[in-house]
Amino acid sequence: MQTQELRQVIPAAETNTGDQAFLKLKGITKRYGVDYMAVDDLDIDVPKGKLLGLLGPSGCGKTTTLRMIAGLLDITRSKITIDGDDISHKPPHKRDIGLVFQNYALFPHMTVAQNVAFGLEMRGVGRVEARDRVEEALEMVRLPGYGERKPKEMSGGQQQRVALARALVIRPRLLLLDEPLSNLDAKLRDDMRIEIREIQQRLQITTVFVTHDQVEALTMCDLVGVMHKGKLAQLGTPEDIYERPADLFVADFVGRTNILDGEIEALDRVRIGASVYPCNTRGLTSGKAKAAIRPHRISLTPSRDRSLVSMATNAAHGKVTRVTYIGDVVQYDIDIGGNTLTTEVHTASAGHSFQSGEKLLCEWKPQDMQVFAQGSGN
Amino acid sequence: MAAITSSVPFAEAPARRKTFPFLLIALLLPMAIINFVAFVLPVIRLGMISFIESRSGGVLTNNYTLENYADFFTDSFSIELVSNSLILGFGVTLITLCCAYPIALFLHRVSPKWRNMLFVITVSPLLVSSVVRTYGWMVILGDQGVFNGILMSSGIIDSPLRLTNNTLGVFIGMVEVLIPYMALSLIAGFGRLENVYEEAAASLGANSWTRFRRVILPLTAPGIALGCLLCFVLSISSFITPKLLGGGRVFLLATEIYDQAVIQLEWPTAAAISVIVLIIFGLALAVYSRVVKRFD
Ligand SMILES: Nc1ncnc2c1ncn2[C@@H]1O[C@H](COP(=O)(O)OP(=O)(O)OP(=O)(O)O)[C@@H](O)[C@H]1O
Ligand SMILES: [Mg+2]
Repeated sequence: MQTQELRQVIPAAETNTGDQAFLKLKGITKRYGVDYMAVDDLDIDVPKGKLLGLLGPSGCGKTTTLRMIAGLLDITRSKITIDGDDISHKPPHKRDIGLVFQNYALFPHMTVAQNVAFGLEMRGVGRVEARDRVEEALEMVRLPGYGERKPKEMSGGQQQRVALARALVIRPRLLLLDEPLSNLDAKLRDDMRIEIREIQQRLQITTVFVTHDQVEALTMCDLVGVMHKGKLAQLGTPEDIYERPADLFVADFVGRTNILDGEIEALDRVRIGASVYPCNTRGLTSGKAKAAIRPHRISLTPSRDRSLVSMATNAAHGKVTRVTYIGDVVQYDIDIGGNTLTTEVHTASAGHSFQSGEKLLCEWKPQDMQVFAQGSGN
Repeated sequence: MAAITSSVPFAEAPARRKTFPFLLIALLLPMAIINFVAFVLPVIRLGMISFIESRSGGVLTNNYTLENYADFFTDSFSIELVSNSLILGFGVTLITLCCAYPIALFLHRVSPKWRNMLFVITVSPLLVSSVVRTYGWMVILGDQGVFNGILMSSGIIDSPLRLTNNTLGVFIGMVEVLIPYMALSLIAGFGRLENVYEEAAASLGANSWTRFRRVILPLTAPGIALGCLLCFVLSISSFITPKLLGGGRVFLLATEIYDQAVIQLEWPTAAAISVIVLIIFGLALAVYSRVVKRFD
């Protein structure tokens, strides 16, 4: 437990070293109507050259946040600085920020090449240089030779990549991406994810990347901010977010998780149904609680005597109620005396496959069971 | 009656694929017949009359000649008519565009809550006949009119400004009559204009003037072309407003056609001028379709 606490502190300290923050958002707030807080008091610092993922469910205020950074929405009592330059009240065209819109917003009356060249033209880049840079940008998003097409002659995914090229080609000091991969097929999305990450690291562009896809956030980003109902639920490295969620919402939203109702008996002891399990109660000593366990952190063995199990692990007897084949993993739903645990076993490593109705033993480490006070993060 | 008509689509529904061309033709036929009888035939007849040898007293002979056109193109007065009409057409169209464009842009952007109401207000002048509106302008702009009255009684001017019975009066009246048409066409052609394009342009570094020039203007070009075509044609063919507000001192192709046909009874001459006006419209239409193609 001791080391757990320490690990929690170190990355937090790292991300808060204010002097090296490149993009600083201070108290970002947007209210619609009288009392609807679309974005509520966000504080985020992004160090230079880093990729921040803003992750959250639909409608949590991601796009609104991005639009405020870009200057397309007025901000209510907040401050945004880039590299020490206060841009809170600068008009969008003076911010030097590249923006890829959720719905691309390619100019329909211009060809792809004209779209990509637009930002260069605004910066007074000469014709010859502009043509080269446009060609280079289109190659970067794997659309070489598409310059003469009109946006409407391209697929959604291709348009999205043109939008990316249009934003990248101006080499902005900050790049904002609003779900830039949402319309790509799985394969292309994987490729583009790597591509964007590669481009971002090569050009060292500080980037804010909005997504509601947690895999995207975890795999691509240096930092992830999880948003929930306009508030920042947690900001940390992908590992922080996944391994040490700050509240129940983050635990539930990022990655698949079993959530079990229980009650905290004492520090690091939670009662679920009739059993008491050692766990991580994160300092709590009493009260109703929810326990979270990742499916793949539960190991399954054929039923055997409980006394043979090491005291250092948690174990529960259960019965398989459903088997779901997903390809790389098999999912077993297991009934452990009233609660259902979803577990995952990699098909490659599976020593054993189980049938529906089979009795087996579920085991997991106490530190893989995170307990949150009921109602934390709703 | 209602029962019978409503039962027709149901009865035909199963055989829909087969009867579709029939239905299409059935729906188009009435208008096609009306168009043929009331437009195509008269235009052909008009073309023929324009070649008939002119005889006083409205008598139509059987001799065909090019004289009507030759007379028109050699007469300096008729050249003046053409240039007056073109100046009026282009001028009124341009001014109307400048007046209506901001209105249309505003209506396009205003929140849907207000849009319908403001839209109705914009086109409401169409509910009053343009003759009535023209008389209204005479009351306002005349020498003893409201406008001059206010200026004179407040001592700003000593003698009335000449606002009617001249080209200025015709311009004012025509622009006001045509603004609703222009606004309607503009809004109809603004379909592609969305706020995100402006935002995208802004994020790429375009200031508001550049955004207008490079994004808003091209995206609204179809609406502009449509509105200009309509207003150009309407202003060249209109003759009530020029007659009333021009006080017989503004000479245009449309007023000349009226004079020749109704007062002089020189039908062949009137027909020849009408054909020339039709040719001008045809040219305008050609320009329009090129502009639309270019901005598509
Ligand atoms: N113009 C507006 N007026 C009122 N409410 C708005 C407006 N724009 C957005 N909202 C509300 O603000 C909230 C945040 O919207 P936002 O577009 O930022 O969501 P998002 O996180 O980007 O969602 P998604 O993943 O679906 O794109 C939503 O609940 C939305 O209904
Ligand atoms: Mg969004």
